[in-house]
Amino acid sequence: MDFKRIEVIFLIVFFSLDIFLFLSFRNSQQLVSSSSTNTSTITEMKKRNITFGNLDTKNGYAYYLGSQPDEALAQNVGKLRNQKVSYEDTNRSISSTLSNPIKITSTDKVATMNKFIKKESNVLFGKDYKYSPQLSSGSQMVYVAVSGLGEVYDKTAQLTFSVSNNEVVGYTQTYVKTLIILHEKQAIKSEKDIITNLYANSEIPNNSRIAYANLAYTKLLEAKDSTIYIPVWFVTIKNKDSKVVTVKKVNAFTGNIIKSSTNGDSSYNAQG
Amino acid sequence: MKFSRLIVQLLLVVAVITSIVLSFFIWTNTARYQRGRNIDVTSADSNKNEVPMNQVISPTSVIWHDETDQHLIYNSNENISLSVQKVMQDWKIATPKLVSKKDGAYYQKVIHGKNMLQLVYPTSIATNVFGYLLNNDSLKGEKEDQFNRILINLKDKKDQNIYLANDSNYAVYKAKVKNASSVPLTKLVKKANINLKVRLNIMKHGVFTFYVDPIKLKGYSYVISGKQDGEYTTALFDSNTNGLVTSEDNGVYSYNYGESKRLTSDHNTEELTFEDYTDTSVPKTQLAFLQRGYQKIINLQDSITNLRLYNADWKNKDLIFREYVEGFPIFKKSQFGSIRIKFSRKGSTEHFLNKVLEVPVPSNQAATTLKSTNEIFKGLQRVGFSPNDVQAVEVGYQWEAESDNEKVVDLKPTYYIKIDGHWKPYNEWTNESAEED
Repeated sequence: MDFKRIEVIFLIVFFSLDIFLFLSFRNSQQLVSSSSTNTSTITEMKKRNITFGNLDTKNGYAYYLGSQPDEALAQNVGKLRNQKVSYEDTNRSISSTLSNPIKITSTDKVATMNKFIKKESNVLFGKDYKYSPQLSSGSQMVYVAVSGLGEVYDKTAQLTFSVSNNEVVGYTQTYVKTLIILHEKQAIKSEKDIITNLYANSEIPNNSRIAYANLAYTKLLEAKDSTIYIPVWFVTIKNKDSKVVTVKKVNAFTGNIIKSSTNGDSSYNAQG
Repeated sequence: MKFSRLIVQLLLVVAVITSIVLSFFIWTNTARYQRGRNIDVTSADSNKNEVPMNQVISPTSVIWHDETDQHLIYNSNENISLSVQKVMQDWKIATPKLVSKKDGAYYQKVIHGKNMLQLVYPTSIATNVFGYLLNNDSLKGEKEDQFNRILINLKDKKDQNIYLANDSNYAVYKAKVKNASSVPLTKLVKKANINLKVRLNIMKHGVFTFYVDPIKLKGYSYVISGKQDGEYTTALFDSNTNGLVTSEDNGVYSYNYGESKRLTSDHNTEELTFEDYTDTSVPKTQLAFLQRGYQKIINLQDSITNLRLYNADWKNKDLIFREYVEGFPIFKKSQFGSIRIKFSRKGSTEHFLNKVLEVPVPSNQAATTLKSTNEIFKGLQRVGFSPNDVQAVEVGYQWEAESDNEKVVDLKPTYYIKIDGHWKPYNEWTNESAEED
């Protein structure tokens, strides 16, 4: 028979085999790249119209912190002027009504209040607090305690101004004098770990925006008259349509989502 | 005519070779693809709550020899040993070579070297396990040389080596190091806030750390956590609990899963034993031995931050883990530490306690001052134990439950002494307090 014809047929067969093999090779390569990293989660989130800034992948360190009850507010309450002050023993908190309410506008409110708290006769230990837009709302401005170890987002160390009709009328304050390190530093989850974990647990709805993701200490429990704080990621998610804002809290040591939406007050355990 | 035929033949040869090359790529590549998927799955799994293996299997004490004396150092804000390991992960460490063996005098010299930073494991590990833990390829090889001390010279620029030393046969290995700097290690040493003068003494049963002067140590308090039996059975029987047979006798609960698995939980002592008769393969390498032990403890406990490998008995395939606080082991009421795992052809056994340190709490105990180790040996001698009877001495924390608050436990330092295979606090051996008057 025509040997040449067989050669041509073989050539065609092998050539098509090559094309097939090449295509399947390319396919498998694409699979490798998509399965190996969790960048796919990020792209998936973007597809679902979830917006967020650059996510920090750095794993930092944090501590277990403790504080013991102190009477710093009670001892200094006499220094306050031009306000009606009452001190509550159980929470060790100050509630104050200002004699002259402070006028604020949405543009200058932070600068005005930052200046106000600097003066000791206005607010005790005002230098130890910092404005937190994440925790504030239209009716209150929340200042959180700042220490060398980080910020504390908790009702046990907070300065909250109440706002009505563009006027600051009064405030409540709690204070922690010293935070002590209870255990050597421990690795914590990165911002990216937390966001992808929240998404994987269906905690981030489609068409929403991650407004804030902040790491702060919050109360874990009370034992032996002391308060124990752990690092927690506070993630604020804003729905783009309904404008509903929810705050998710994630234990930064374990990455477990803490199932409660209120700030501070609730009691939960480390497994949370 | 002839020419076109030549082209066809040539093209055919090319096509055949290309197909062979492509199939080769696809085969090797699919293998990688599958492996990649496995890695993805395990990382997603461990992501949940991981404490890396090199934290559980890690040196627990750090000894620094300055120009004159040796000091046991610790930093209560940062674990020096873990930080040193992190620095070492970037080093290029060559295969260790044997320098000397069974030479007690030379060994004494090595472990007392000046300007040496010494990391001490509670138990000896193999060099290839060390390579695995540091993710260091040149150490990962086949060699299973045992050692329990890592020595690094921080001052001598010419000594570009680390030394690995083994207390049980006085073997010293030397490994060339590249890409290393002593600066970050010196910084870590300087930050230490606990500094106790020590001397390493070679005794009949090993190298003991002697505290030269009386030592003042803080007490600690922790919130402890435990789990219900049901949580253990779901984790350990890894199948539905339909076939579960339960029995109870004097507070001792038994859960049987057919003939293959059994959990016994003693509610009086809160000690549990899990036997798995299906787990009959005995680990073939020391690395597999430790890896399987690590997998088992992860499966048992949620919080293993404070847990360290305390003893690895390769001959009997027996592992003991203990909880540590600030570099000192915690001795609970049990003889086996916190978790004990044994592999055998008949199945694996896990002994463990249902009490785990969870959250540190400020302690209101006053600091304790313990006698020097010499005084302890003198006291033991007074009741008839010669130094040669003592198998091990360790400063450790005693577990004292608070009666008014079951959830909180106080940890108090004392000397623990091992005689005749039993660990007991000093006061139980001698009826004398280990505290300085």
